[in-house]
Amino acid sequence: MGGAPAGLEARSLVKRFGATTAVDGIDIAVRPGEFFTVLGPSGCGKTTFLRLVAGILAPDGGSIRIGAADLTQAPIWARNIGLVFQNYALFPHMTVAQNVGFGLAMRRVPRADRGPRIARALETVRLDGYGGRRPSELSGGQQQRVALARAIVIEPDLLLLDEPLSNLDARLREDMRSELADLKHRLGITTILVTHDIHEAFSLSDRVAVMRAGRVEQVGAPTELYELPANRFVAGFLGPVNEWTGRVGAIADGTAEVEFAGLRSCRVPALAGWRGGDEATVILRPERLGLTAASAAGEGAVVGRIDQVAHLGNLVNYRVAAGGRALLAQAPAGRTGRFALGDRVAVAWDDADLAPVAP
Amino acid sequence: MISGAAGRSALGIRLGGSVWLFLGPALLLMLAAYLAPLFDTTIVSLHPNRPTGIDRDSWTIANYLRLLDTYYGEVLLRTLRVSLLITLFSVLLAYPVGVWLAGLGPRGQAWAILVYMSPWFVNAVVKSFGWTLILGNRGLVNRGLQSLGLIDSPLRLMLNETGIVIGLLPGHFLFVLLPLWAALKGLDGNLRWAAMTLGARPWQVFLRVTVPLTLPALLAGAIINFTMNMAAFAAPALLGGTRTRVLSFIAYQVNLEELNWPFGGALAVAMLVVTLGFVMVAQGLTRGGLGGGRR
Repeated sequence: MGGAPAGLEARSLVKRFGATTAVDGIDIAVRPGEFFTVLGPSGCGKTTFLRLVAGILAPDGGSIRIGAADLTQAPIWARNIGLVFQNYALFPHMTVAQNVGFGLAMRRVPRADRGPRIARALETVRLDGYGGRRPSELSGGQQQRVALARAIVIEPDLLLLDEPLSNLDARLREDMRSELADLKHRLGITTILVTHDIHEAFSLSDRVAVMRAGRVEQVGAPTELYELPANRFVAGFLGPVNEWTGRVGAIADGTAEVEFAGLRSCRVPALAGWRGGDEATVILRPERLGLTAASAAGEGAVVGRIDQVAHLGNLVNYRVAAGGRALLAQAPAGRTGRFALGDRVAVAWDDADLAPVAP
Repeated sequence: MISGAAGRSALGIRLGGSVWLFLGPALLLMLAAYLAPLFDTTIVSLHPNRPTGIDRDSWTIANYLRLLDTYYGEVLLRTLRVSLLITLFSVLLAYPVGVWLAGLGPRGQAWAILVYMSPWFVNAVVKSFGWTLILGNRGLVNRGLQSLGLIDSPLRLMLNETGIVIGLLPGHFLFVLLPLWAALKGLDGNLRWAAMTLGARPWQVFLRVTVPLTLPALLAGAIINFTMNMAAFAAPALLGGTRTRVLSFIAYQVNLEELNWPFGGALAVAMLVVTLGFVMVAQGLTRGGLGGGRR
């Protein structure tokens, strides 16, 4: 909305609360105009990171730059940041228009200019005509959109979203998510979303940082993280996964032959540092495991027995006991190729789908 | 069945006729011990007082006309002035103390509240005598100031309206502080951060967010404070002295020393009407502009 969008650069950020270190040396660079998500389980420090960027908390170390300005020590009100809270934090004693106009009033925008800007912001979030209502008269989703309008009307350099969808019910969350995706293209504001929800993170973000225990584990585009997780934590956090540990055999041209007890030997891109005889871990997503009837087992398939079935509507999750392991497989729910508990099945996969992970 | 209904009502679900079972005892007590005597007092105030006692056969408004005497007018004005002054001081102190209090840790808050409650741990008469040791001409304050050479002759800190204000303020302040403290603690902490990210400085957050959202609680406390100031008896009697009488003391004198119940009744009704009038004005303020039309 404003001028050229600004980027964010957080360097070696540290924040301690007493004996615990909530943020333990974070380096995050968000590109101008990017939609960036900080993803992690609760207690990983992602909200602390957001509050450090907003200026609600003061860091114990490191620096924060937005655009060209070093804002590490700048007070909150001087940062020009739009922040949308998980509980919306709308001012209950003000109308919707007064809520949205609050930031304009604080910025001494002339009264005559405020009206049109408030109207435009409310239009952006599809709430035109709601200016006279009180927050208490709105639904959760509408309150959410007022909070968004209030944050974007000031044309912030940076928009921060703190678990903005987690208070909404499942259907509304889906609607809001697609609306946020639309808004992101229309506004072009550099945005940082903090969430524990993988779907939210993946469907909205240009890039995602996965956090654990105050540290960034991996930063990358959603597909990158999903296909090539840096370690077992990232792999497991991004969804159910088959994790196999085996022994490295010969390594040639960056490809290792890894022997998995009970399964078969597979060809996997070697991680730096792998040597013959080492333990190696690879992951395979359940949807990349193919199931066929045991009688139709092809070459390299492993035969096992289905010992758990879970129907998810559009998908079916199977657990297959094979080679002394529990293999997770996911298949579309079709009329053909359905299996029942106890069926003998052949499990097949393409070695190209195996991703090596650091422990 | 009854306990079941009560349990549901606690969860905010409407209950039927059984509500009277729970309200009944308290309502009966109010009716018998408060409303009935008050009604009788009003009736008595409309009868003349004779040397033989209350003449219940004839009716008069003479008792009320006597209130128009300048002496009683002065007493009424003084009572109002002192009461409003105490309320004003309490309200001025409430935000600084309340904001400080709400920011303390849980233990700190518990101790601080105990300190603000402490005036109520001592009997009002004993407390007032205690004040005379501090405020008298040869009391702690005057001797201290004199020994420091700050004053030549003692300040008159009691046996006047100053004494009444000093005597009542510490105890009655609690009733302004408690509701405000509760309201401040109940504020969503994110409102403050939301306002600040939108560009508000701390004082702007206070004026535009904190005050509008907690003002109704402050006014509620101020109303309680005011009615208690109007009705206070021991401290005004002991710290006000013979030349600085307030309505409650005059009513006591007329009723129990002169045994003139009809005129005493008129005084009581006048006090009630004036107090109620102020309360209604204050409540009008809360509902109207000051509360920001909060729903």
